[in-house]
Amino acid sequence: MQPPAAAIRIRGVTKTFGPKVAVRDLDLEIPMGSLCGFIGPNGAGKTTTIRMIMSIIFPDRGEISVLDKPSALDSKDRIGYLPEERGLYRKMRVLAFLTYIARLKGVDAGDARRRALLWLDRVGLKDSAKKKCEELSKGMQQKVQFVAAIIHEPDLIILDEVFSGLDPLNRILMRQLIQEQHGQGRTIIFSTHAMYEAEQLCDRIFMIDRGVKVLDSTISDIRRRFDPRTVVVEPLDHLLLKPENPVHARAVHALQTLPGVHRVVHSGSDFHVGLDTPPKGVMTEIMRAMDPLGGVRRIELKQTTLEEVFIAIVQAGGRELSDAELASLSANGALSHSGSRMGGES
Amino acid sequence: MNKLMQVAIREFLATVLTKAFLLGILIPPVIMGGVIALMPLLMNQKPPRTEGRVALIDQSGLVGPLIDAEFTPEKFNEAAREKIEESQKVAKQLAPQTRPGPMNMAVEQALRTDSQLTLEKLDAGAGVDDEKSRISTSRRRDEIQGTNPRLALVVIPKGAVDLAAAPKPTDAGAAPEFQPFDMFVAPTLDIEVKNQVENAVERAITNARLRNAGMDQSVVRQLTRPVRSNSITVTDQGERKSNDAAKMFIPAAFMFLLWMSVFTSGQSLLSSTIEEKSSRVMEVLLSAASPMQIMVGKILGQMGVGLLMLGVYGGAGIAALIYFALDQNIDPMNILYFAVYFVIAFFLIACMMSAIGSAVSELREAQTLMTPVMLVLIIPMVLWMPILRNPNSVFAQVCSFVPPVSPFVMVLRIAGSEPVPFWQIPVSMAIGIVSVFVAAWAASKIFRIGVLMYGKPPNLRTLLSWVRAA
Repeated sequence: MQPPAAAIRIRGVTKTFGPKVAVRDLDLEIPMGSLCGFIGPNGAGKTTTIRMIMSIIFPDRGEISVLDKPSALDSKDRIGYLPEERGLYRKMRVLAFLTYIARLKGVDAGDARRRALLWLDRVGLKDSAKKKCEELSKGMQQKVQFVAAIIHEPDLIILDEVFSGLDPLNRILMRQLIQEQHGQGRTIIFSTHAMYEAEQLCDRIFMIDRGVKVLDSTISDIRRRFDPRTVVVEPLDHLLLKPENPVHARAVHALQTLPGVHRVVHSGSDFHVGLDTPPKGVMTEIMRAMDPLGGVRRIELKQTTLEEVFIAIVQAGGRELSDAELASLSANGALSHSGSRMGGES
Repeated sequence: MNKLMQVAIREFLATVLTKAFLLGILIPPVIMGGVIALMPLLMNQKPPRTEGRVALIDQSGLVGPLIDAEFTPEKFNEAAREKIEESQKVAKQLAPQTRPGPMNMAVEQALRTDSQLTLEKLDAGAGVDDEKSRISTSRRRDEIQGTNPRLALVVIPKGAVDLAAAPKPTDAGAAPEFQPFDMFVAPTLDIEVKNQVENAVERAITNARLRNAGMDQSVVRQLTRPVRSNSITVTDQGERKSNDAAKMFIPAAFMFLLWMSVFTSGQSLLSSTIEEKSSRVMEVLLSAASPMQIMVGKILGQMGVGLLMLGVYGGAGIAALIYFALDQNIDPMNILYFAVYFVIAFFLIACMMSAIGSAVSELREAQTLMTPVMLVLIIPMVLWMPILRNPNSVFAQVCSFVPPVSPFVMVLRIAGSEPVPFWQIPVSMAIGIVSVFVAAWAASKIFRIGVLMYGKPPNLRTLLSWVRAA
């Protein structure tokens, strides 16, 4: 049997809560086996979308199919779900809780207990098996909840705000666990505000804002579209950066007259040089232009981060940006944030 | 179905395996049962053996020859038996359906004695004060006097037997009366033994009086037996012995049992739903099971809790009735009806509780929404007396068809004395069952929306709008 092409297929879905439109005409397709990041500002409709995928709430209009079934209700046992608002039974013991959840998801009794013990060991909570859930720290509870979401070995894993409230070490553990699940061929969707993790982990990103999808592409596609168009130049002589200094005007002029440069702004100790075209050969040109003015301390290609894309989209009023706009995003020096770099540090 | 059962099992265990439940609900009847079970052991203890002498000063000279016949162990036993039988007859009159058995045993044990008394006839002229001082007044003196202490002194004046010798009444024209006899007893004397001695002396004096008047004592005794009544209630189904205590007690017990189990388990359903919602564990559950499965599972789990309580308390009650041989007051058919009405009442209340629990985020917020439920639940508590007194009044009949009050009222009426027109039972059950489905449908709508709603607790109108929502 050929595996289904799409794990989730959403067509024309709209959901309103009273006067508020939470999700509007959403189309989305998530391929089988992908690791997908779901981003969007607070209140954008992420949790609503996820709950609709889970058939916890139902759309007013449109169709959702999950794992080739018309509703997640038909394949609940094949889906792992970590809700944003997560909780445990305070008085229940950790092992009993995990066994119960596994049983609820169709794992038989002996297996449920065995897997619960195995997973507790994996996430370093072996000694807490007999503890009551309320006795655990928040980070430990998070791990228990993650285990509860995947204990039945689902084909599709949906994690809502999976990184919130975790310390750096636990974030790394969580990333490893997600990558491991992905490596076993499972489809994973996680919503997050942690852009860095999204960039690091995902092969696909989609974003909604005010209930509308504004970004939906693979990471490589975004990388292609967000070709870096800004060069950051830090002159050796900081006097160049003072507008009252006559050399400043000369430096700006020297940079601006280079071919392909459409504007130069200065921010902090840097000049941000916006380019019209991909920065082929421009670097040497810039260095040559700066030579008579005392030379360059640092020069680099400024890459657009997912965070910048995110902010630009939200500030654009929540519509899908055109390629030109995306391109100008990277050329816009005003959006320089010291964040993570697209493509990672490696 | 499997998921539903998983939810039900967890709900049941999480409720039952708490200290509060175990201590508060299960322990009291266990203790009560223990006491009842131990009672026969306590009662079966042999009465203390009484040995000693009873001194007699017969100033009349007429009783002495007759008293020997009354003072034999056989006569004592016979008298005791007579008294026991008499008491048993009285008990039977109070509760006519009572089988002889445990109750008779209880009576017998209370009245049985084991005494070895010897009569010590003193001179008619012996000094009363002098002889009185020889009565053993303490256990220590018993030891000094050996195994046969003097336990009592009976002084029979002549006027106790002979009316002519009795003192003249102070009021002129009043009929003369026999003089009482005096009896001085040791403080250690068992009260039943004292009564036996008293009765023996009384019988001897009566016999002496009859003989003195020239009458046959056996004839007189036969003629003066106490007169007893036999109260019978006439009903459509024929005659039956009436039993006022059971008539009031058993229906009320049935209703309170129903009320208590429904209310307690309903209450814990409310709090567990709120806990699941406010601890946000609900969404984890929703990802594994449908809202309907969760709600119905929880209701079934709590029904198990209610049934457990019913079993413990009802079982203890029925065991007590059997023990006291009052069990024929319960028609097995009534227990079947009771079970059906329990299910109806429980589901109605549980649906309300889970709807309310799903709609609020804290127990405190539930209170305003609980008001209508509480009003409904208070009706049977307030009205059980009038309904029981007049089970076929228009009011009681109307209440029998209005859920969720109907199960409580019907249980009262069915267990009560006046027979309920038979058609009313299936009709009220049918209405109840239909209302259960309506309530479950409405509650599931509220539940589905409510469990994901946080913030301002909704009011009743909002809940109704949720029911109307698709």
